[in-house]
Amino acid sequence: MKKYFKPITRRKFLKAGMAGGAVMATLPVWRLFSFSAPPSDFYVNPAVNLSKETLEKLIKVALQHGGEFAEVYVEYSVANEIVLDENKIYGAGRGVDMGVGIRVLHSEKTGYAYSDDLSFEKLKQTADVAGLIAAEKETREPVGLKSSEVPSYYLVKVSPDSIVPQDKAKLLWKANSIGREYDKRVNQVNVSFYDTNKKIIIANSEGTWVEDVQTLSRLFVRINAIEGSKRSFGYAYKGGTLGYENYDLKLAEDVTKEAARISIAMLPAEDAPAGEYPIVMAKGHCGTFFHEAIGHSLESDGIRKKTSCFWEKKGKQIASHISSLADDGTVLGARGAINVDDEGTPGQKNVLIDKGICTNFLYDRLNARLMKAELTGNGRRQSYQHYPLPRMTNTYLMAGKDDPEDIVKSVKKGMYIARIGGGNVTSVTGRFVFSVPEGYLIEDGKITKPLKGIQLMGSGPEVLKNIVMVGPDLEISGGGTCGKSGQRKPVSDGNPTLKVSKITIGGAKI
Amino acid sequence: MNYKLLAENIVKKALKLGADEAEAYLQNGRKFRLRVRNGDVETVKQATSKGMGLTVFKEKKLGFSYTSDFSDESIEEFIKKAVQLSLVADPKPWNGLPDYKKGEIKDLGLYDPSVAEIPNEKKIKIAKEVERIALAYDKRITKSAGSSFEDDEVERVIANSKGISHTSKYSEAYFSVSVIAGSGSDMQSGRWSSHKSHFKDLNTIESVAKKAGERAVSKLGAKLVQTQAAPVVFDRYATGSFWYGILRALNGDSVYKKTTFLTEYLNKPIASDLITVIDDPTIPRHISSRPFDGEGKITSKNVLIDKGILKMFIYDSITARKAGVSVNTLTNRRNYRSRAYAGYLNIVVQNGDVDRKKIISGIKDGFYVTGLRGIGTDRPTGTYSCGSSGFWIKDGEIAFPVDGVTLGGNILEMLKNIEVVANDIDIRGSLNSPSFKISEMTIGGKK
Repeated sequence: MKKYFKPITRRKFLKAGMAGGAVMATLPVWRLFSFSAPPSDFYVNPAVNLSKETLEKLIKVALQHGGEFAEVYVEYSVANEIVLDENKIYGAGRGVDMGVGIRVLHSEKTGYAYSDDLSFEKLKQTADVAGLIAAEKETREPVGLKSSEVPSYYLVKVSPDSIVPQDKAKLLWKANSIGREYDKRVNQVNVSFYDTNKKIIIANSEGTWVEDVQTLSRLFVRINAIEGSKRSFGYAYKGGTLGYENYDLKLAEDVTKEAARISIAMLPAEDAPAGEYPIVMAKGHCGTFFHEAIGHSLESDGIRKKTSCFWEKKGKQIASHISSLADDGTVLGARGAINVDDEGTPGQKNVLIDKGICTNFLYDRLNARLMKAELTGNGRRQSYQHYPLPRMTNTYLMAGKDDPEDIVKSVKKGMYIARIGGGNVTSVTGRFVFSVPEGYLIEDGKITKPLKGIQLMGSGPEVLKNIVMVGPDLEISGGGTCGKSGQRKPVSDGNPTLKVSKITIGGAKI
Repeated sequence: MNYKLLAENIVKKALKLGADEAEAYLQNGRKFRLRVRNGDVETVKQATSKGMGLTVFKEKKLGFSYTSDFSDESIEEFIKKAVQLSLVADPKPWNGLPDYKKGEIKDLGLYDPSVAEIPNEKKIKIAKEVERIALAYDKRITKSAGSSFEDDEVERVIANSKGISHTSKYSEAYFSVSVIAGSGSDMQSGRWSSHKSHFKDLNTIESVAKKAGERAVSKLGAKLVQTQAAPVVFDRYATGSFWYGILRALNGDSVYKKTTFLTEYLNKPIASDLITVIDDPTIPRHISSRPFDGEGKITSKNVLIDKGILKMFIYDSITARKAGVSVNTLTNRRNYRSRAYAGYLNIVVQNGDVDRKKIISGIKDGFYVTGLRGIGTDRPTGTYSCGSSGFWIKDGEIAFPVDGVTLGGNILEMLKNIEVVANDIDIRGSLNSPSFKISEMTIGGKK
């Protein structure tokens, strides 16, 4: 089978580094290297490279109780983290996860078992336990495995796992000094660099056999400011399915300045008023809203079980005619980009709402089978310990035609939501609530003073109808981590500047 | 395999490979997960798994590594990595293992061997029954969102180079159900569960089913109210995020860094004198109890807020040493993939002496909160803002269900404005509180 991740030799990596970025070029990394280098960019325990024969045997064992479909998912992942806090490198950490998850589908039933012991005997047992869900007399023959090629949507030349922590520390120190120089009211700067490097192998009874290496990295800066009794904080980050060649000192500086700007801007913030107001959402930083308030309700499990507010809505108008929503696993380098999903289906772009009409849902294999729908490349799982669920990748409101300046000017009294923070939604009703770490009052078409404690509250279906202006300036942001049924998964999201004609704002004032 | 011995050996090996101090934390367990929907088994998941995390200090520098790969070569590499990683960090004089004294851990009855013996047929029967009864609770209940049965056994081991070495076994049994009432644009979900260390202690199937049904149906026809200031009663099961916001602000390291609004409040009143908050992980057979904490310290009770007075901030051993304080607060640990952190294990807010019904009957116009959405408290400023649902109180009676409103205020004012505390605590998780009334809050709704 074709390898899509070619381990770069140490020498090649250094060359690439020299050519690619200031960080590499100015630092003699090999001198700082106080311990032996890993043999390749990303060391994978050879035990996870199960042979074609082994995978086929396991699939056969899994189907011996009559299951309709069996799948083996193999994972080896390495996570690295380094943290700077209070003017010191706080510490560095590294972790390894390794295991195999085996799934058997039988009509609406799922049997799942996993093991972190990769001996054949233990894996055979695991396959057998997963297969018990079927309990039929007749067994099915699996299709022989055929390896398939996967596309590439990651921007990874240099695996972050190959970079010594001393090097990553340079980015952290740069951010720290920029943050502290930014304003004397800055009192804490916390910076971290985190990366995960995951090799997966997926094989199933329909003959699918793919391999992928998924790299995620992120530089995160959090800044606290203090002035008298007033306190505030701001954060900013850069991340995605990005190799280390995408990070340099200039980037660390830009990210830090953004976090510092927010913390200082929010220092004089006043309590937000409660009540119903129009809002303008700033481009790029409010996509979480569409992910949470709309996207989750378009996942096929809730649709099939009729527990989503959109279950009967395919082909119907669910949003204003200027609103279109896409989930797109192919956005290059984005945090939710996937070459293949965790069931081996290639990542793809799916338009879910087209000019207000609900056109598609997000499918994993189980729900696509049961609903007789096409796979959309959204079967995702946190790790070998979890079975796949329909999940989003990169979700965004598509660009429109309204001038962003006109959008702000059109609001007499309302809020400018510069970025949306954490949120949550009940998919049955589509009801959501979001915090707003950076928000301002709009008075007579102008952004005026900063506000704290803004909470946006409402229901997804309502807000979709109240999107009255959409700008052309779509931007996809760094994204975050989405939780569903106890599984965490990296995603990103985006939006152009837009206006919602009315939404309930929670605040401490009346 | 003797995992306690393995943890002790890993600590020894880390010292041999150059660490000055080391701590190994290991988990080894078994899981069973069953989901049922519409009377049929939907998923069965089972597994055994293990993993360990290693913290080392070298010249007062911190390194951390974890692995689930227990092959001999991988373990060797894992120990080496932790030691090597410590070289990257800066030394801090306060770094190092905790200083507490050794002791014997108490048997809190957290392991029930019968949990491993429950036949699968019985688990399936419980999940099917709870769903069937919940669906039949009221004819307005239209759909099932599924029911579940889960059980776990886990062994947690901690060993460090100061001679601490503990192991303790835990069992958990759990079942839940979620149903949906109504149709069209008026749908509400109701969910309830029971989670215990001992199988025998689980609540009855009927009580869990009924509670889920009641929670779905009672919210049907919920509406928005006008934006206004009014008295608010927090139901005992809707207080978690409120207390969580306060506990987060008690974090000692945030105090040290001056990033929390509670910085200047030690030994000062922060709440109504009706409020006493205790972290008590020593309650026998309780699911959130622990004989030792995330750093291996033998657990005991801590009074955090005593009759409204803030008695302590919450530290782990490193942040306490940094701040120069001596405290007995406890650390939590999510799993072997992360280090212990200053936290709490089992918060119990002390009961008051008034019936909840009596509190409600004394309100002319007010909001009875039974559900909260969102984060709530902003740690730097203490601004509280949360989405919520519940019931409107009119002339002492529950008048109609409310959804989609926000609650806003300042958390210190809210704490001081707690007028009455009910006597209805139900200790079922890690944040336990009776219902209480706040004299006035901002409710955001219609114009």
